[in-house]
Parts: sequence; C-alpha cells; structure tokens
Amino acid sequence: MESLTNWLDNLLADNSIFTLQTLSYYGDGLVTTVQLVFLSLIIGLVLAIPLALARGSKRAWIRLPIFFYCYVFRGTPLLVQLYLIYYGVVFVEGIQDTWLWVILEKPFVPALIAFTLNTCAYTTEIFRGAIKSTPRGEIEAARAYGMSWALMLRRIVLPSAFRRALPAYGNEVIFMLHASAIASVVTIMDLTGAARFVYARFYAPFDAFLFVAAIYLCLTFGIIYLFRYLEKRLLAHLKPASG
Amino acid sequence: MADTPIPLEVRDITKRFGNTEVLKGLSLQAQKGDVITLIGASGSGKSTFLRCMNLLEQPDQGELIVHGESIRFKETKKGREPADWKQVVNMRAKLAMVFQSFNLWAHMTLLENIIEAPVHVLGKSKQEATEHARQLLERVGLGDRADYYPAQMSGGQQQRGAIARALAMDPEVMLFDEPTSALDPELVGDVLKVMRDLAEEGRTMIVVTHEMAFARDVSTQVIYLHQGQVEEAGAPDQVLGNPSSERLKQFLAPKH
Repeated sequence: MESLTNWLDNLLADNSIFTLQTLSYYGDGLVTTVQLVFLSLIIGLVLAIPLALARGSKRAWIRLPIFFYCYVFRGTPLLVQLYLIYYGVVFVEGIQDTWLWVILEKPFVPALIAFTLNTCAYTTEIFRGAIKSTPRGEIEAARAYGMSWALMLRRIVLPSAFRRALPAYGNEVIFMLHASAIASVVTIMDLTGAARFVYARFYAPFDAFLFVAAIYLCLTFGIIYLFRYLEKRLLAHLKPASG
Repeated sequence: MADTPIPLEVRDITKRFGNTEVLKGLSLQAQKGDVITLIGASGSGKSTFLRCMNLLEQPDQGELIVHGESIRFKETKKGREPADWKQVVNMRAKLAMVFQSFNLWAHMTLLENIIEAPVHVLGKSKQEATEHARQLLERVGLGDRADYYPAQMSGGQQQRGAIARALAMDPEVMLFDEPTSALDPELVGDVLKVMRDLAEEGRTMIVVTHEMAFARDVSTQVIYLHQGQVEEAGAPDQVLGNPSSERLKQFLAPKH
C-alpha cells in the first residue's frame, strides 16, 4: 500500500492539478455515481416488472394510470423532473416537521427518487414491448399444456421477454449512467460534481472534464461488455446453428 | 375393464365468431385407441373444433367430457366460460396438443421443452422427467438434438420434438392440428411416420389433416366437415373410398 502511494506521489510530483487530494474527490464521486445509478436501476427494474404486466391489463383503470405515468416521465426532461422533486419537496406543507425531512433534506434521496421514477418509466415500456411480442403460439402451447396464468408468466412469458429486452435494457443502463451527471446540479458530488469542483478550483476545464469523461468511458465499456456477455449466454437460442 | 371411462367425448359443440357460426353442433366420441381424422376445406371449422376440445377456444354451447369428467361452465356477460379453471388445467394436461407451427418454447432447449410441463404442471421430478424425455427423443429420432434450441432445428425436427413434448405428458388423447401443413414436402414423411407408430401402439388421437393417405391408412374414423357441420363420417374405406356426398367427392378429387 505504501509503495503504491509513493508511486502515485512520484507520478503526480510535477502535477499541480491531479494531486491525491483531487483524485480522492473523483474517487468519492465515482462511488456516489455508482450508488445512485445502481440503486435507481435496481429499484426501477423491480417496479417495472409488475408495471409492465399491468400496463397490458384489459381494465382501463389499471392500464391508463401506468400509461400516463410512463408518458409523463418519458415525455419530460429528467432535469426538470429532478428540479421538481428536489426543489418542490420543500413546499409540501408541514414536511419539514416530519421524519421524512431528515432524508429529503439532503439531495441524494430526491435525486434517487427522480432517477428511479425516470428509469422505471423507460424500463416499463421496454418490458411492455418485449412481453407483447411473445410469440402467440408459445402462449397457446403453455395454455394447452395445462399451465396456469402465473406459471405461464413465470416459466414462459417473462424469461422469454427478459431475453428479448436485454439489448434495449443495456442501452437504458448506459443512458442512466450518463444522465446521472445532472445530479451535480443539485449539489451532489458525483463524478461530474467532482469534475466541476476541480475545474472551479484550478480553472482547468480540459484536465478536469477530460479526466471525468475517461472515467465515464471506462464505466460504459464495462456495461457494454457485461451486456455482450449476457446476450451471448441468454440469447443463444436466437442464433441459428452453424454447421 | 368395461368401466374405463371414455377418453374424450364432445356433444353438440357450437361456436360463433361475431355473426359467423363456425361450428353448428358437432359431436365426437374417442374411445381408447381410436384415431379420428378431421378433414375438410379451409374454413370448414375443423381446426376450431379441435381447439374447442381443450378450450383454447370457448365453445358457446355443448358438453365436453374428458375421461368421464364433465367440464363445468358458467354464464358470464361475455358469454360462457369454464366455471373452474383448475378443472380446465387438469383436463388440458390429459389432452396434449401438437400445433401446425410447432410452438416449441424458443428460449428453452429441446430437452427443456419436453420436461417443462411434466415437471411444472404434473409435478414430476426433474430426473424422472429427463430420463423419460431422453427415451422419447430417441423414439422420434432426435436423440442427438436434446441440447439444441428450436431455432437450430429444421421444421420436421421441431415437429417431432413437439410430438415428444406431447408424449411426455402421458396424455389420454393427443390432438394434432395440421401437424404437417407448415413443413417442406420432404420433411413431412418423418413426422407422419412417427404418427403412424403412435397410432399402431394404440394411442388415442384426433388429427386435423390434409394428408389423405395418412387418414386412409391409419384412422379408425374419418369425419368430413363442411361449414361447421358433419357432412360425412365413418370408416376410412367408406368415407374416402366410396363417398356418398357430392361435395366430399369433389374435395377428394385430384386437384390437377
């Protein structure tokens, strides 16, 4: 550990910007970004599955509110949604007297709520499309072989839809990572927040932002690689046999 | 022995789609070992009739008795529906269906397709189902294709796989909905051969088909449908060899 610190010190010796101090800003920013993106994706994903199913309900009072939710959150900028939740929550009557204020006062939770609602809306639509495109014949076979609705959903419709949704969902994950940069405008010290801080301190826009761009690139590369791997494993059935 | 219930009996099934009456009171009784073929021009209602037998289509009227158990219905605003879906699920597990377009589950390997319903619907152990599935795959000549996905197989292989999937249910009755119509001509033979074997070993089968040679050689009874009604029915020799209906004569006449 010490030799690593020495090595870094030497490397940074001639460098007035990328000191251990600023690198730790970036490091903390990376942790915040990953937390924010990961949590909102996980919660959004879990909520999106039942929503996607309900979105296809025959009953209008179930279907329409979900349609409306997806339409609003996909139809407005994430930044506006973030502003509404972050700044708007203060104006909710009496909220500052409740325990909720303890968590809502800090920017992390409002941002997490905005991101979750946003990604959940997109994910719901992605899954909706994938579920809807389940081949009719496969559903019919499931019914003909005595599967109940729940069993058919669990064994046939959802596994098949998840696989079809994978490429589109991979894009959504990358989109969320990049969209998370706007968390910095509500004072969150995420990766972009750290870059802004370094920029303001040293007045060195290229160093500050190119460095953070490189980190985003690495993260994106990781996500792409992960989804490539998943697609290769889970979408094998769509590839015709070779030879 | 005499008390063994009749595998499948339907009485006076009617069905309409909108204003069109597609089935006008059809009945059928499949005794154990019967091979009943349903023939008729497209639009005659033969596929709809078959699909009514396991309630993939809901008949508007009529009775359905599977292995001595009558399916209960209830009237709703939207028409008649089964009163007890559990009963329907049990009934469907006794009638295995083979579809025109195979309808194997694309995200599962052939083996997984075959053990899916035995394990998750009938509650068999995975090991037992797998052993049975491998025997069935050997039987239909696909012993080396267990780990292939449907998209990696030819239509004929998929359909033989689908027949293995049906056999894995140990069904009372097998329903075939034009099993060779979606196949290239050179692949039809393999599928028909498997079906002939099944008929020979005494399987109860109801087959919607355009394969007249199959109907003549294999069936115990042929039913010719026209516009949702039975135009002629009886032993294959009589119905196909010496039809009395003018329409059936035309239907059977060589087209070229």
